[in-house]
Amino acid sequence: MTIWWLVLILAMIGSAGVAFIWLAVRIGSKPAKKGPATYEEAAEQDVEHIFNEDFREELRNRGRLHFEKIIGDNAMFLQQDLRLTTSQLNEYMKNEIANKLKEEFAKYEQSIMDAKQLAVESIQKTNSAIDEQRKEMSQQLREQIAGEKQRVITRFGEEMADIVNHYVLDAIGDQIDLNNQLEYILAHMEANKQAILEDINSGT
Amino acid sequence: MEHKAKSRPAAHAAPAAHQASKALILPVAITSPVEIGRLINELTQLDETMMQLELRDPGQAVKMPKTTRLLDKLAETNKLNLLKPEDRQQLLKFLKLIHEHAPVLKMSFSVDPAPVFMERLATWLRQEIHPQILINVGLQPNIGAGCLVYGNSKVFDFSLKQTFVEQRNLLLQRLMTEPKVEAKA
Repeated sequence: MTIWWLVLILAMIGSAGVAFIWLAVRIGSKPAKKGPATYEEAAEQDVEHIFNEDFREELRNRGRLHFEKIIGDNAMFLQQDLRLTTSQLNEYMKNEIANKLKEEFAKYEQSIMDAKQLAVESIQKTNSAIDEQRKEMSQQLREQIAGEKQRVITRFGEEMADIVNHYVLDAIGDQIDLNNQLEYILAHMEANKQAILEDINSGT
Repeated sequence: MEHKAKSRPAAHAAPAAHQASKALILPVAITSPVEIGRLINELTQLDETMMQLELRDPGQAVKMPKTTRLLDKLAETNKLNLLKPEDRQQLLKFLKLIHEHAPVLKMSFSVDPAPVFMERLATWLRQEIHPQILINVGLQPNIGAGCLVYGNSKVFDFSLKQTFVEQRNLLLQRLMTEPKVEAKA
């Protein structure tokens, strides 16, 4: 019994649904009326009549031209801006590079100057050291020369008797006869007679 | 001019020798101890020879010994007869005394002196220093002229070199003075 009730209810629901669908399709597929029924419909028909395909095509063309013009203007502006930006960028880069280069050159020049200063100071120190050493060597040389000169003079003075004696002997050595020297020897012995006597007596 | 010298063993003059030999004279020809030694040897040999001659057998050949010039001179100066034994003994004693006690001077010369020079030198020394003084002669060629006299304790430098040493200041003065340039006429 229940099943039968259930089938019945379902059949009723199904028939109600079919009726609703049919009504909806009927309303939707109602054919267009020949004349406007209201003002709104008339305006819609005029619009359709004014904005026909040609007009729309013209409008499209105009829009296209206008759009192209706008695009061209914008492109030109963009190009100008781009050029300006590029030139500014170039200028900026140029300035930056120039500044950098100036800084680097300044640093390089400073380094060169420092190195040059160091080299100059080193050379000056070396020169002064060389001058000092040269002065010391000159002084030492002068002292040595003076010492050597004094030594030679002193030695010459000390050895003068030998030197003169040597030259005298070379000159007349073989010509001196002892007989000629006897008076000289006796004179010296006479002068030292007392000393010789004392020496002889001291040995006795 | 005097220099201290090392003392040598004394074989020099003694008053006893001088007194004992007063009667005899040493000739100036005899100047060195070497000659005295030779004379002693010669006189000793002569004395022995003469003794042998006295002991000889009769009829045996006799050969008279020859004497040197110095011994003859010594005997002649002292008027002694060498044939007499007492004279020979006296002379021998005198020579030995001289050899042992006479003062000796060593003198160095640049060349070997001649006998005449030595006689003149000995004459002066025996007149002024000691009558029996003897001279030992040495050679030192580097002294040039003059001589070096070596006593008992002193050295007397009479050389030309020593004279130059003493005149050193004069030499220096002469060296320091500018040499005069003679103007050409």
